[in-house]
Amino acid sequence: MTTEKSPQNLGNEPNKNEDLMLSMIREILLKEDREDIADIKAHFDDNEKLAERINPIIEIHVESMKRKFPREYQKQVERIVERKIKASQDELLDVVYPVMGKMVRKYVNHQFLSLKEGLDDRLGQLFSFKGWYNRIKAMVMGVDESEILLRDLDHTSIEEVFIIQRDSGLLMGHFSRNETIDRDVIAGMLTAIKSFVEDAFSKERQELELIDYGTYKIFIQSFHLYYISVILDGSISSAEKDALSAKLLDFAEKEMPNTLANDVSPSDYETLSMQLSKYF
Amino acid sequence: MISKKVILTGNFGVGKTSLFNRFVYDRFSDKYLTTIGVKVNKKVIGVDDEELSVLLWDIAGEVSQDKVPISYFLGAAGIIYVFDMSRPLTFKEIKKDLDYLTELLPDSVIKIVGNKKDLLTQEEMNHVLAELPMECNITTSAKTGENVEELFSQLGRLLLERA
Ligand SMILES: Nc1nc2c(ncn2[C@@H]2O[C@H](COP(=O)(O)OP(=O)(O)O)[C@@H](O)[C@H]2O)c(=O)[nH]1
Ligand SMILES: [Mg+2]
Repeated sequence: MTTEKSPQNLGNEPNKNEDLMLSMIREILLKEDREDIADIKAHFDDNEKLAERINPIIEIHVESMKRKFPREYQKQVERIVERKIKASQDELLDVVYPVMGKMVRKYVNHQFLSLKEGLDDRLGQLFSFKGWYNRIKAMVMGVDESEILLRDLDHTSIEEVFIIQRDSGLLMGHFSRNETIDRDVIAGMLTAIKSFVEDAFSKERQELELIDYGTYKIFIQSFHLYYISVILDGSISSAEKDALSAKLLDFAEKEMPNTLANDVSPSDYETLSMQLSKYF
Repeated sequence: MISKKVILTGNFGVGKTSLFNRFVYDRFSDKYLTTIGVKVNKKVIGVDDEELSVLLWDIAGEVSQDKVPISYFLGAAGIIYVFDMSRPLTFKEIKKDLDYLTELLPDSVIKIVGNKKDLLTQEEMNHVLAELPMECNITTSAKTGENVEELFSQLGRLLLERA
């Protein structure tokens, strides 16, 4: 450590001058302090040196914060998070549902795809003409194969789409090829039947997914606060079901509001029905 | 038009389905009521110059409300609780039933209905209502149709006030 004003030759020339004596005493008394101050000043003037000294201290503090934080603040943080989640549970769930659905679907799709690829290898040409036709069409047109599947389905059999509040059974939006009478009542009855079936037959939380009704099929995609029901005339393959499900999840993610009132206002109804008609 | 769900509930045989059928044109077979225990129908109620679409759920009577699947009650903005003034057994548990329903649906409006008024004299009716542990909001007869329209328009008004 260097000092700027290091006193030189202090003991070598004894002086009787009082001033000198005083300054010597001062020097002796204050020497260490002055050195310290100079030392400190030097440190402060030099960022690197300052950092060298301070960083370890900060690190120690950060470390101890890290260690202490969970213990000291865990309860508070937990309480805040818990409160936030509780307050917006419904919104949260309806935000999460479509995303979760998508994730699950992606995974299942992937599994199916690898299975299909494996089969493709072995079966070669044996796949149905329609399948190949679709795949080639997809390649040429650059669209998703499932989108084509759905488009075929579209032309033949989607009769109606209902968006229905889960508890009240109130109709939130509707799309139909033909004018339907009593769609409110149908939505209500559908909800009642769905509740009944889920209540009577499922021990765990399981949702009704498909109702067979004569030549009609009622496909149900459940969300937390509402469900979307698609009435199909004819049969639906699992690939078509998958494509339909993907479309509904996509619709829910993009178009559905995150909160629901205990009634349905005409303007919300109009908006959702409009959006539905764009998708189907 | 705003839509609301309203449930019709109360003991077996008090006249819920009769009130329902008086009020709405019936489109679905009663088979639903016996098989799944509920039937839904719709009626548009005019209140002053406003209109309200009521989706009425006729819930098959059970002796006890907690035997009915909860999902039938959920999401209801209005409750019509019916008892039969001529049969004390149907209002013996009225307080317990209403406590249960108001706990389940704290934000809903409730109409307590004494039905089959055609079977009682005014004196008998006064006696029954005095014994009731709570106020009866309206007395009706599904048989003669007395006060049936009135019941639903009162309810419609309450629901619109809440909207
Ligand atoms: N006298 C009379 N009979 C009634 C009245 N309402 C219903 N009933 C009769 O009471 C019985 C049970 O009625 P219902 O509507 O099936 O009762 P629910 O089980 O509550 O649906 C039927 O025989 C009805 O005809 C009423 O206001 N007056
Ligand atoms: Mg009945």
